[in-house]
Amino acid sequence: MKDKQFWLVLGGITLAFLIYWFAGHPFFNHDRIVMFIAIVAMSATLLYFIRMAERGEDFYLRPIPGLKAVEEAVGRSTEMGKPVLYVPGIMDMDQVETVAGVIVLGHVAKMTARYETSLNVPVSRSIVMKAAREACRESYMVEGRPDMFNEDMVHYLTDDQFAYAAGVNGIMVREKPAACLYMGKFYAESLILAETGNSIGAIQIAGTASQAQIPFFVTACDYTLIGEEFFAASAYLSKKPELIGGVKGQDMIKAAVLTLIVVSVILRILYETWGIGFDIIKLLTVQ
Amino acid sequence: MIWKRQIPILIVAVVGTLTLFGWFIEEPNIEAFVNDDATQWYDILASFAIILGGLNLIKLQMQKVAKQRIGWQYSLVAIGGFIFAITAGFIIKGVDDSVALWGAHVTTEGSMFKWMFDYMFAPMSATMFSLLAFFVASASFRAFRIRNFEATLLLVAGIIIMIGRVPLGSVISSWFVMYLLVLIAGIGVNTWKKDKMITFGTVAVGLAAVTIAGMMMGWPVNEPGIFYLPVLQEWIYYYPNVAGARAIMIGIGLGIFATSIRYILGIEKSYIGE
Repeated sequence: MKDKQFWLVLGGITLAFLIYWFAGHPFFNHDRIVMFIAIVAMSATLLYFIRMAERGEDFYLRPIPGLKAVEEAVGRSTEMGKPVLYVPGIMDMDQVETVAGVIVLGHVAKMTARYETSLNVPVSRSIVMKAAREACRESYMVEGRPDMFNEDMVHYLTDDQFAYAAGVNGIMVREKPAACLYMGKFYAESLILAETGNSIGAIQIAGTASQAQIPFFVTACDYTLIGEEFFAASAYLSKKPELIGGVKGQDMIKAAVLTLIVVSVILRILYETWGIGFDIIKLLTVQ
Repeated sequence: MIWKRQIPILIVAVVGTLTLFGWFIEEPNIEAFVNDDATQWYDILASFAIILGGLNLIKLQMQKVAKQRIGWQYSLVAIGGFIFAITAGFIIKGVDDSVALWGAHVTTEGSMFKWMFDYMFAPMSATMFSLLAFFVASASFRAFRIRNFEATLLLVAGIIIMIGRVPLGSVISSWFVMYLLVLIAGIGVNTWKKDKMITFGTVAVGLAAVTIAGMMMGWPVNEPGIFYLPVLQEWIYYYPNVAGARAIMIGIGLGIFATSIRYILGIEKSYIGE
């Protein structure tokens, strides 16, 4: 979007909101005003940095070993003549992590197309199967290798958690992939998958925002993308300025959140000790 | 092209904005859409999509059997299971209409579907789940191997949490832990100074100090609390652990927010292809 269009759209939205606000803001839930302001402020920060990146501003992104290792893993599979196994989690497309997993799959598929390595993507949800197929098809087209794309490289196993784990383990033990990538939302099956991958000697890279599964992946995998690193993967792998700008904006918001935590602690101490008439907890608690 | 690009992006933008800002609107129709309708729409779509998944599964398994690829015998079991489940679910109930109607039969005792669920599906799922116990053991072994400072810290914290959470932990006196710490401190001093006299002096002073303190306090099992394993494990669990977990959680929350905003605004389009 060009500058003029951008400011026009933004101005229009702001004007519409101001009219709504001064017209008495009907139906607005006043208990959630702080959350509303926070969302607007965070969105504005993200947009600001995305615009800056689009206008050519260069942002530094710290290197993430797990993302650098993705290409290395695909290269290793090529050298060994073995497939790459990609597991996009066990949840459906209504989970952001699954969507992020499918996006990373698109980048991995580009690499497998470039290196002429076979890719195996067993999925546990039919909608994920369709989305993942489209992502792979697109990647093979972009890389100029539509002949290498085969619809069945993305295939459905089952919706059930442990039946899916058993199916993926079976594929691992029979086909012995050289690289196993786990990117998405996982539950108890995470360790079953990662330990089986470890036992066949595959290079393993995991990425998840499922907090309880991170320790299991850290233990059993060679590289793990923890939480936000996983969501930033698309920006790192695509190197698109608008996505990199988003990551920078995210970091800025994080700095603001940290500042807010410190200020809140100080204000809370003042409230408890000297009884200042302002309770920050009451203000920040989501209603 | 418009059907494959612009329309999907528009749907994501409209529904995403409505769902996000619907949370701030007190209007019954919007609230009903955000809380119930949107998820029900998704469930309906997913129910239709399962047919695609089922067909894909059966197609691949049949191809495997026909071409006798590696492990084709397992595909026979998969096809058999598939046909049996369809039969038990849609064709043969196994109970009379007076006992259960179609649909309700899947949870009725005596029906073929319930039998399959109780005697085939549940034990096999439990088998897979129970594998986790062995995998946790092998993964813990690798994680707890002392390679560096972090692994040692993990090992010590793991041992304290494990012992502190079982009945044995509550009968181990804090004085025993203190004696243990004095001996460990002795090992540390010996590694650092490499002098027997200094090591002996440190250990002797430490043991004497613990003994004198114990005699003065009457050797209570759970005091000083900081050396009592159940208290110590609780502190590790609720303070350093929660602090670390929250730091990760803030990152995850921001990641989800930023990703969602990118989808809503159409900045991230990889999910429909570039």
